[in-house]
Amino acid sequence: MAIAIKREAADVKRRPPIFRRDPLDILFYAVTALAAMAVVAVTLGIFYILVRESYPAIKKFGVFGFIVSKEWDPYREVFGAATNLFGTAVATCLSLIIAIPVALGIAIFVTEIAPDFLKGPIGAAIELLAAIPSIIYGIWGFFTLAPIMSAHIEPFLMNTLGRLPLVGPLFQGTPMGIDLLTASVILSIMIIPFTASISRDAFNLTPEIVKESAYAVGATRWEVVKNVVIPYSRLGIFGGVALSLGRALGETMAVAFVLGNNHQITTSLFDAAATITVTLANEFTEASTKTYLSSLFYLALLLFVLSFAILAVAKIFLVRYEKKNPREQ
Amino acid sequence: MNLDMEIKGLNFYYAGKHMVLHNINLEIYKNTVTALIGPSGCGKTTLLRCFNRMHDLYPGNKYEGEIIFQGRNILTKETDLIDLRSRIGMVFQKPTPFPMSIFDNVAYGLRLRGIRKKSILSEKVEHALKQSAIWEEVKDKLHESAYALSGGQQQRLVIARALAVEPEALLFDEPTSALDPISTAKIEELIEGLKENVTIIIVTHNLQQAARISEWTGFLMLGELVEFDRTEKIFTVPKEKLTEDYVTGRFG
Amino acid sequence: MQRERIRKLESVIALTVSTFAAALGIFWLVFILGSVIVHGAHALSPGFFVHDPTPAGIPGGGMRNAFVGQFLITLFATIIGVPVGILGGTFLAEYARGKRISHYVSMLADIMVTVPTIVVGTFIYAIMVKPMGHFSGWAGSVALAVIMIPVVLRTTENMLTLVPWTLREAAFALGAPYYKVIMQVVYRGAITGIFTGVLLSIARVAGETAPLLFTSFNNSFFSGNMNGPMASLTVTIFQYAMGPYDDWHDQAWAAALVITLAIMIVTIVGRMVIKLRYGKK
Repeated sequence: MAIAIKREAADVKRRPPIFRRDPLDILFYAVTALAAMAVVAVTLGIFYILVRESYPAIKKFGVFGFIVSKEWDPYREVFGAATNLFGTAVATCLSLIIAIPVALGIAIFVTEIAPDFLKGPIGAAIELLAAIPSIIYGIWGFFTLAPIMSAHIEPFLMNTLGRLPLVGPLFQGTPMGIDLLTASVILSIMIIPFTASISRDAFNLTPEIVKESAYAVGATRWEVVKNVVIPYSRLGIFGGVALSLGRALGETMAVAFVLGNNHQITTSLFDAAATITVTLANEFTEASTKTYLSSLFYLALLLFVLSFAILAVAKIFLVRYEKKNPREQ
Repeated sequence: MNLDMEIKGLNFYYAGKHMVLHNINLEIYKNTVTALIGPSGCGKTTLLRCFNRMHDLYPGNKYEGEIIFQGRNILTKETDLIDLRSRIGMVFQKPTPFPMSIFDNVAYGLRLRGIRKKSILSEKVEHALKQSAIWEEVKDKLHESAYALSGGQQQRLVIARALAVEPEALLFDEPTSALDPISTAKIEELIEGLKENVTIIIVTHNLQQAARISEWTGFLMLGELVEFDRTEKIFTVPKEKLTEDYVTGRFG
Repeated sequence: MQRERIRKLESVIALTVSTFAAALGIFWLVFILGSVIVHGAHALSPGFFVHDPTPAGIPGGGMRNAFVGQFLITLFATIIGVPVGILGGTFLAEYARGKRISHYVSMLADIMVTVPTIVVGTFIYAIMVKPMGHFSGWAGSVALAVIMIPVVLRTTENMLTLVPWTLREAAFALGAPYYKVIMQVVYRGAITGIFTGVLLSIARVAGETAPLLFTSFNNSFFSGNMNGPMASLTVTIFQYAMGPYDDWHDQAWAAALVITLAIMIVTIVGRMVIKLRYGKK
């Protein structure tokens, strides 16, 4: 993550003088402008190349047809994205469901409960969690978490939630540990730090005086959080959640180990599945035919467009939020 | 005249710092307006925030002495802060509407107290809004966001929110410092009218304001109460040289 | 009174739950780092760093090839990515300061920072690996550089905006052209921040696996040839962990330990430097 640091509002508005008479200045201007445009070029380049490479598959399977088709058969060369989209959607949603309450809890603890001497270390620990490479989450999930899930947590869920009507089928099957549930748990641990740190920053923007006035009406600490702090920061929280969603969507290595690679739409969280990223990681270098490879590029294109859109929405929310609540001095 | 609050030998320390209020002794009478004045940093806001134990929100702050409110010392550990704060309301320097509708803002304290019945809520909200002289301006948009109101309206809304729970005393912390003169005049007029029902303590840096609206005035400096007396005495025949210098504008 | 007791109880419960959430966060951190340290330390030996892998299934050997490969790929990624990022950030913070284009490019960069890295892998595969006909260390470096650019660019932009405007004005007043002001005054004022930001971005891409899978691929032999497939620690971890041999699993943990420690140390030091240099926040 880029490091965000408070800037002087007055300084941002300043504009540089325009006196580029010196040829070297013109050169430096051009070089830096070109470098800045590299970001734009890469973005457009990725989009263009992915469209170009997936064109054969787009032509063969169409857009809508590709998205809804459950087929993924390299032998017959028939491909559809539905199973991958399903796996991606379930893993992402489930991980958010697990992560959001925990992340909000952390943010509440750090901003409203923790004594000052604990705020720093806990914030730092949560941010360290974000710095751990995803491959480490992957190997840890595979060797450490999956056996625990399979031996303890999943049998427990099977015997409790699995017996309930409605949600029951979600928790039935063979608790192997290599499945959607384990993948979602790992993903949730990965995204907790992002949601938590953005929510914490949003909470911190609630003016002290507004919180105090809720206390002054006789609210308890929790009521202040629930009725004032959270509503006050909802745009920021929303942006943080959308950002985490974008992250979870595109995460590969943390789930590649524990998801299996099962191109089926399943009914139980104890089943292996496939996400777009895991399919790419497992099959890209093995794709032997043109259509196969092109279909994989097509998946990559879908993922790119999807996550770009979600991240753009997240960003717009966060920018708007900061505009509405300029940091107080 | 009825005694409402009695402050005896109050000392206050911020966490890790030296004493910021020294041996304050003061009496607040029922249904009067008491103003606290003094140069900035003199401790007047700090003193005000002792009355509803606002300092308890931050760890390490310490009180000594007694504040007797309706016969009980509120500085003891046993004091129920939630109950205390619902009996002594507070209005801040800047308007502090909550991120909800006008109605919900005023109903907030009532709902905290478990009042759920729509008819009672509506009645009390309306009464509070009328008391704070803003009913006419908002009655048609009760369910719009409180942020849509002007600063002066927001401040009166916040006063209504404090009044809705029928407190026995109201603390004002420089309530007009962020407002224009017209809004200020409205708030002052409002405060005058409110004292029929509640005891009012107001901190202000505006001496004319203190003179206009209060019956009693306390002058603080460097954390000590220099003089406390009837307002007209403070402003015309102060006993202390320091008070005289301050009210005549020789410093501060 | 009864009601107040319930409200207070509710508050206590909610706050306790929040405290548990924070404890849970710490628990995961300790659990993950603990597992990596316990498993990794037991497999770590001097030979791990200086030997190349033995043929599959035969115990012993090390990951010298992956260390060297990781180093080369990351080094060239840095050489490509950092100058572009710094110059681009300079444009946004200086020449385009306050202009709309600056706002939009920053926003785009922020989005690109989080875009799935595996997509970058497929992109580089299409523009480098396919035309060249083979995987290569270069492709891996370019993929990491593409990921690095937006990170360095945003950090640089932020650090430069922190340099007070008056400093520039003082230099303008002496008649210096803008490029000299930037190079001699502004960069000097922001050097700690930029340097740390670069370090953090290196730490970030050094842990990437997904973009290397189809670019630098893997190589079980020692190779210093950037023009051919090249081993990296992360891809090797993936391959070894998924493999069938216990010895591979041990080595994967050892590599995980090395990479985690390196990244943690850089991250902690980097954040400390920034905190010291730029105060709270």
